[in-house]
Amino acid sequence: MKTYRNLFNFVCIAVGVLFVLNPLIYAGTNAFEKLRKESANIKTLKANFVQKKSMKILSRPLVSDGRFYYIAPDSFRWEYVKPVKSIVIAHKNSTKRYVYSDGKMVEDKMGGAQAMKIVLNEIAGWINGRFDQNPSFTATIHGGTNTMITLTPAGQSMAGMIEKIEIVLSREAATVKSVKIIEDANSFTQINFQNVEINKSINPSVFQDVK
Amino acid sequence: MKGILFLILTILLFSCQTLPLINSPVSSVNQKALTCPAPFLKEKYRLVHTIETRMAGDTRSTIIGVTLADPSTRSVSCAVMTAEGMTLFEAESEPGVLKVNRALPPFDSVDFAKNMIDDIKLIFFVPEGKLQTKGNFPDGATVCRYSEENGDWIDVIADKSKRTEIKRYSSSGILRRQIRFNKTAGNIYQHIELQANEQFNYSLLMTLIEAQPVKSKLLRTKSSGNTQR
Repeated sequence: MKTYRNLFNFVCIAVGVLFVLNPLIYAGTNAFEKLRKESANIKTLKANFVQKKSMKILSRPLVSDGRFYYIAPDSFRWEYVKPVKSIVIAHKNSTKRYVYSDGKMVEDKMGGAQAMKIVLNEIAGWINGRFDQNPSFTATIHGGTNTMITLTPAGQSMAGMIEKIEIVLSREAATVKSVKIIEDANSFTQINFQNVEINKSINPSVFQDVK
Repeated sequence: MKGILFLILTILLFSCQTLPLINSPVSSVNQKALTCPAPFLKEKYRLVHTIETRMAGDTRSTIIGVTLADPSTRSVSCAVMTAEGMTLFEAESEPGVLKVNRALPPFDSVDFAKNMIDDIKLIFFVPEGKLQTKGNFPDGATVCRYSEENGDWIDVIADKSKRTEIKRYSSSGILRRQIRFNKTAGNIYQHIELQANEQFNYSLLMTLIEAQPVKSKLLRTKSSGNTQR
């Protein structure tokens, strides 16, 4: 479960971090170096997302809607609105997940908060531009109409869980367009982002209030 | 010595529980007229539920469950995923065959896959065993009792307000599973509550996201052929 938690949090927060690193619209060996410089400009970020889960057992993708908030340096809120209400909040060195039960949000007790903390420490490194130094994944950048970053598991710890993650960046808007998490040949999750707002005011209560 | 014998007898007495008493209609005409509750699938269906897991009354987590169940072949495919879309478990079962395609901890034990498929069959399929008794409980609820090949007993119950319940007992009469369908109108699978009595008791609250009948490939081929004509 711990490994899964690590992976889940990696995916959630990696998406967030990639938003922060969104000015990446070039490819090459110095790309990650440039990322580090440009990521310093992002102070806040807010977006809606639509997630489509596809797998063999489903005749059509299972669609979920949600919202994402970020305030530098390390406050995140990753919230699903429907069909299942759930929230992951990382704020002030604490990470918690909440699920909807009996008309209110309650803390998820299945996961290991400690595991989340470990992941966040890695994420902090990425925010500082050390994105290509996460030992769990090998990151490659591909140029083109839209820039794509591919993350491939580097070791055996995620074997059988995830094949790769593809992140597409929009050239025009210089923001993340979509993230595709490929589990295997029959199963993947596509997350498309909309209404992205950068450096606009976000009420800090979104990282405390779980209503 | 007498004390030890007394202790053993006491333990045995308490470990052998009895099944709830069913009053069967005296006349065979009345017995025939009594219809067994059947909250079961009649055709192949795909169902997606949110599943809230609870232990000791506390919500532990919420996951999404997908079930593809065909009552005609008693085959089941199922998957469990997180709200974030991560697949935790995927398996398919046909009579006598269980194939686990993906199982991440803590869903990777052999027992988990078997128990999950058994629970799905208990919820959605008519019991495979022999109909043993039908009648009423003292409170008036209608009940049909099936004896399974492995010695278990399954009671399918409809109370006076038409609320349906399934109970599975071990061969020694210990209640193992209790399933409540908390919807009397509309889709009966809208709200399902499963109570499991194991070493660590737990309950699952299932809320329907979507339900969709699945046509067999043969039927689909035929209907598309008809459309072309």
